[in-house]
Amino acid sequence: MDFYLGLMQVIGVHTLLGLSAWCVLHTGQVSLAQGGFFAIGAYAAGMLTTMWGWPLGLALPVAAIVAGAIAVAVGFPALRVKGLMLVVATTAFAEIVRLVFFNFTWRVETPEGMVGPDGGLGFGGIRYFQSNGWTSTDVLTLIWALVAAVMLLLWWLDRSRIGTLWRAVGEDEVAAQSNGIDLTAAKVSAFGIGGAIAGIAGGLFSHTTTHIEHGNFSILLATFAIAYPILGGLKSLAGTLVAVVLIQGILIEGLRFLGDWRSLLFGALILLVMLVRPGGVLSAPLLARVAAGKAPKTKGPSIQGERRHA
Amino acid sequence: MSLLDFLDLIQTLLDGVMFGTTYALIGIGFTLIFGVMHKINLSYAAASIGAAYLSLMVASVAPSPIVYLVAALLGGVLGALVYFVCFRFLPLDKPLATLMSTVGMLLLMEEAIVHATAGMPLNYPAAFSGVVFDVGPFMLRGDLLFVFALGCAAMVGLKMLLEKTRLGLATRAVAQQPVAARLCGMGVDRTNASTFVIAGLLGGTAGAMTGAAIGVLSPLLTLPFTVKGLVVTVIGGLGSVPGAIIAGLLVGGAENLFQFLRGVSERDIYVMLMLFAFLVFRPGGLFAAPGGRD
Repeated sequence: MDFYLGLMQVIGVHTLLGLSAWCVLHTGQVSLAQGGFFAIGAYAAGMLTTMWGWPLGLALPVAAIVAGAIAVAVGFPALRVKGLMLVVATTAFAEIVRLVFFNFTWRVETPEGMVGPDGGLGFGGIRYFQSNGWTSTDVLTLIWALVAAVMLLLWWLDRSRIGTLWRAVGEDEVAAQSNGIDLTAAKVSAFGIGGAIAGIAGGLFSHTTTHIEHGNFSILLATFAIAYPILGGLKSLAGTLVAVVLIQGILIEGLRFLGDWRSLLFGALILLVMLVRPGGVLSAPLLARVAAGKAPKTKGPSIQGERRHA
Repeated sequence: MSLLDFLDLIQTLLDGVMFGTTYALIGIGFTLIFGVMHKINLSYAAASIGAAYLSLMVASVAPSPIVYLVAALLGGVLGALVYFVCFRFLPLDKPLATLMSTVGMLLLMEEAIVHATAGMPLNYPAAFSGVVFDVGPFMLRGDLLFVFALGCAAMVGLKMLLEKTRLGLATRAVAQQPVAARLCGMGVDRTNASTFVIAGLLGGTAGAMTGAAIGVLSPLLTLPFTVKGLVVTVIGGLGSVPGAIIAGLLVGGAENLFQFLRGVSERDIYVMLMLFAFLVFRPGGLFAAPGGRD
């Protein structure tokens, strides 16, 4: 049973990570920096609770604010470029963050001994949940309450004026700009909110695993972050959740009986999903069909709209 | 700084620049593919390492030059495979779809390597590994010099191919104006496929050169190689082959220099900061391609 609780925790954290990438992808930008913001959140929250004894309820929001603020600071120079250039710029940022933590040592004396990040050895002993008597179910409830809150917030944002602006920029930058939309404001705000969400996810990650190290935050993590919303389909928040369950739940855990072959199959399945459903699992035509409750074949404007997306 | 330190510095820089030819070749591959299709092929560096791995199959029966040749040819084959699996049947107006499909391919290749070799690094046949040339106060390592020469030969070959053959003409035409090229009767799909093969040949060469210079191949090489290749592509300017060459040598030299000055664990921070500086002050790269009319 504990195994499934742990799995649900992983799915929750990765859903938050995917949602952070969803914000940025919504404005048409492909960012591999989400892993970096995740790392910043993980280290910030972990340091606050272990080294200075802050309660998690305070450490998580601070981690979110720190990650969000760094995202905004990086966003201004990075978002001047787009497309491949942005992918590389954000990759570089994520690598810088990882390498900084690789070289980062700051140990302090606490009643439980020396704690803090210790360079390449990582940052262990983030035992806030254990020392405060949280059970796995409590942790799980906290994670999924946060997932629900973030999803609700993004759902509301998506329907508000901000969501409209983000989508307009994502669909066609030139058209958006000629309608008086401030491109920089739209992109940087999405980047900042995405960064804050990634920071929360990172804080939860460091507290559930209790030991983090630079290797946790490689480019692969950032690739997963953008893979969830793209595989799930950018048109709906649920798509991200579906993709996380599909990848973390079914592909990584459900296929354990395949042994070594599982990881081989994993890349092949991402490929297959993109070949069969290039717009994501929950694509716009599918959602429109479900909403209208009618047979397919109608090539409405929604399909056209999605083609131009990204 | 004493004279001896200064000589050390230059020596480090020289070694780095010579190894930088591998980065240059990877950068050229990214840039060529971006030039004709305006897409990134993230699996490219993994395919290059994969080709070097596959060429090990003949390493026990053939001398090392044959092994390198086989690596290049297999790189071309893998390039064609990547094109048909990840690009040919995907809608090209969705950049995210091909991005994800190549990521899938990258993971697949990396895992295939890990699966086939149990994750252990394998020895790669080196060339001239014991040879050292003394040039004044500096020494040139034979293996690095060989890598440098091979890389230069591959670049000259590419230049001839792009400028003297009909295929090269078609490649450049498609890169400039795909619609106009199609209207002139060029097979755009065929040209795209052959560009992938050309890039794959370079990639296979780069993979073999890396193996020859480092002496071992490891699945851990794929991700750093991908990142370095992308960095080179961006510093050189997207779609610019000369830019990729110069940026490759620059990154190789700078990397070794930072390693000499600041140690191996901080090396890449400075390389990435250099990239950031380029993005802020010269976002088009060293040689930005002139803006198209479309």
